[in-house]
Amino acid sequence: MSSHNNTVFIVDDDPAVRDSLTLMIEQENIAAEAFESAEAFLAVCRPECLGCAVIDVRMPGMDGIELQMKMSERGILLPVIFLTGHGDIPMSVRAIKAGAVDFLTKPVTRENLLKCVRSAIQSDENRLAQVVMTQQSQSLLLDLTEREREVMALAVVGHPNKEIARRLGISHRTVEIHKSKIMSKTGAVNLLDLARIAQESGLNG
Amino acid sequence: MSVCRRLVIIDIPYLPIGSIINRPLESLCFHALFDIAADALLLVNDAGHVMLANSTALQLLGYTEKEITGLAVETLIPACYRTNHEPHLDIYFNQPEKSAQGNVRDLVALGRDGREMPVDIRFSPLHLQEQRCILITMIDAAQRRWTEKALRTSEERLQLAKRVAGLGVFDRDMTNGTLHLDERSRVLLGLDPEAAVNYENFLAVIHPEDRANRQAVLDRALNPASNGEYQTEFRIIRRNDGIERWLMTTGRVFFESGDAVRLVGIMQDITESKVMERIWQEHRGNMESLFKQQIAAQTASAIAHELNQPLAAISVYSEVALRALGSDTVNPETLNRALNGCVEQAQRAGKSLHKLLGFLQKEEFTPESLKLNDIVREALDMTQNNGFGGFYPTLELEQDLPPVLGNRIQIQKVLINLLRNGVEAMRKAGVPASSITVKVQTVRERNMAQVTVQDSGSGLDVETTKRVFEPFFTTKPSGIGMGLAISRSLIEANGGQLWFDPKSEAGATFHFTLPFAP
Repeated sequence: MSSHNNTVFIVDDDPAVRDSLTLMIEQENIAAEAFESAEAFLAVCRPECLGCAVIDVRMPGMDGIELQMKMSERGILLPVIFLTGHGDIPMSVRAIKAGAVDFLTKPVTRENLLKCVRSAIQSDENRLAQVVMTQQSQSLLLDLTEREREVMALAVVGHPNKEIARRLGISHRTVEIHKSKIMSKTGAVNLLDLARIAQESGLNG
Repeated sequence: MSVCRRLVIIDIPYLPIGSIINRPLESLCFHALFDIAADALLLVNDAGHVMLANSTALQLLGYTEKEITGLAVETLIPACYRTNHEPHLDIYFNQPEKSAQGNVRDLVALGRDGREMPVDIRFSPLHLQEQRCILITMIDAAQRRWTEKALRTSEERLQLAKRVAGLGVFDRDMTNGTLHLDERSRVLLGLDPEAAVNYENFLAVIHPEDRANRQAVLDRALNPASNGEYQTEFRIIRRNDGIERWLMTTGRVFFESGDAVRLVGIMQDITESKVMERIWQEHRGNMESLFKQQIAAQTASAIAHELNQPLAAISVYSEVALRALGSDTVNPETLNRALNGCVEQAQRAGKSLHKLLGFLQKEEFTPESLKLNDIVREALDMTQNNGFGGFYPTLELEQDLPPVLGNRIQIQKVLINLLRNGVEAMRKAGVPASSITVKVQTVRERNMAQVTVQDSGSGLDVETTKRVFEPFFTTKPSGIGMGLAISRSLIEANGGQLWFDPKSEAGATFHFTLPFAP
């Protein structure tokens, strides 16, 4: 794995299942942390946790589905792989609807488990990259004035200066000055670059 | 009416009153007898006047002796009846020989207070001192009329009940073979309302498949040692339209010096309730099998859950071990942990299974000394009463079989299961008038009691024969395939064996053995 701070969080009430899964994940040089209950996992889990969670659907106390709901309420967007036993199909359906990355039926094979874990970690890295990009773009826009944001929003959707001037009730010349300042503050090389920054930052045109 | 008066007549012809009446002692005797007679007596002369009345008569009519003496007999008859009355008197005075009996029923006497009372009267002509007289015996008829009315009412009620309940009545004289069927019975059987019928006509209407069963019930009632009562249900093919109906008959055999002489009973059409019963049973059967399937599914699920966790761990540990062995530098610590995990989890799975089986078989097993023949009979009754009627078991029981040791309910469960399987197999094969043989015997070489259940269905094919005792193996569309597996384990728990007889020529034959009680 490229990233070194990814962890697989294993949540299962069965000690043997926990232990064997931990062993299998660690054998691949991926960090693993095991928890005996949903509550124990929630106590330490933070939104900044990276990697993925392997969660048993059926557990005494809080079950896997409820845990997943609690996680998303707290802004923990870790991809979730559910482990299901015999006859847990209706639960699995609910899990998929709730946004589980995958679900595996016990007993799981190494091949399936690792494939799912790797793909979940990959998707978490993508998510992280997305977050970083958004944060970067947003930081570029931090110095812009209110008026400059208005001009930028209209410019990135393709309105010519003349139209922007008309809409904002300012002169053509003033629009040009605003645009020049926007380009220098964001470091955008051209209008296309500016449009990318706007999109990544979530600025609504 | 408080007193029931019997028709007691002083037998005048044997008492030569005319000859003895003059003598003082006899006269005294006559008066005493006359007076104490339980019936009202009036001695009337040929002019129609009362000469003498006894106390009963005085009490009945409400006169004193003085008042009634010399009274015209017409006074004692209500005016509206008088014209009817006179000819009687006339006949008795003038032509006494014409009415030797001299009994007249349903007359009305008039009391002194004007009260009218129903009486039966007997006129007895006699001669006293050369004078023609009539002894009138009056019997209070109120009681008789009340009894008659009560009888009539009772008869009417019976008729009404019969009509409403649709009951037909039959009465068979077993000494001469005649059979009386009332109107309703004839309707129920589809027989001609008028034509004479005999017992053979009745038998011919009964559905051929139900004749043996009905006869068996009847034979029990015909045994003079029984109380003669019976009830049986059977199908008939109605004579007039050929439609199949269900009848129930309830009857009683009467015996005379140990011989059945008469059989009286009622019959009732129970087709509708039979249809309802069948629908009900289907419902119940469906629910039962649904319930059983649920139990099987729940049990399997519990077993699956108990086993799946250790299996899941073993699977992962094993792959970790394989992977560890396959890498360039074997990590003994990882390998050790993985293989130890495998061993522990395999042990855990085994323990879980034992615990679970112990839980499932916690039903208390109390062996007792049992009469196997009785258990077989009871199981047959239970199977037949459970909507499986319409099969005719042949019992071959070894008399004086020593008691066996086992659990009554478990053995009955096994028998019922074998019988049901047999009946279902025969129905599926469409075998008409099918029969099941249940045989109980001693197997000397093994010192065991052996029960054999043989049906007349189409038997088992080779594949089925091999797998018939496997759990969850079934040939029935709605079966769960646990019946024979459970039956075998129950018999084994009772110290016996249950097996399928591959040499059986017709149908399927199962045997099971049970140990004798010590």
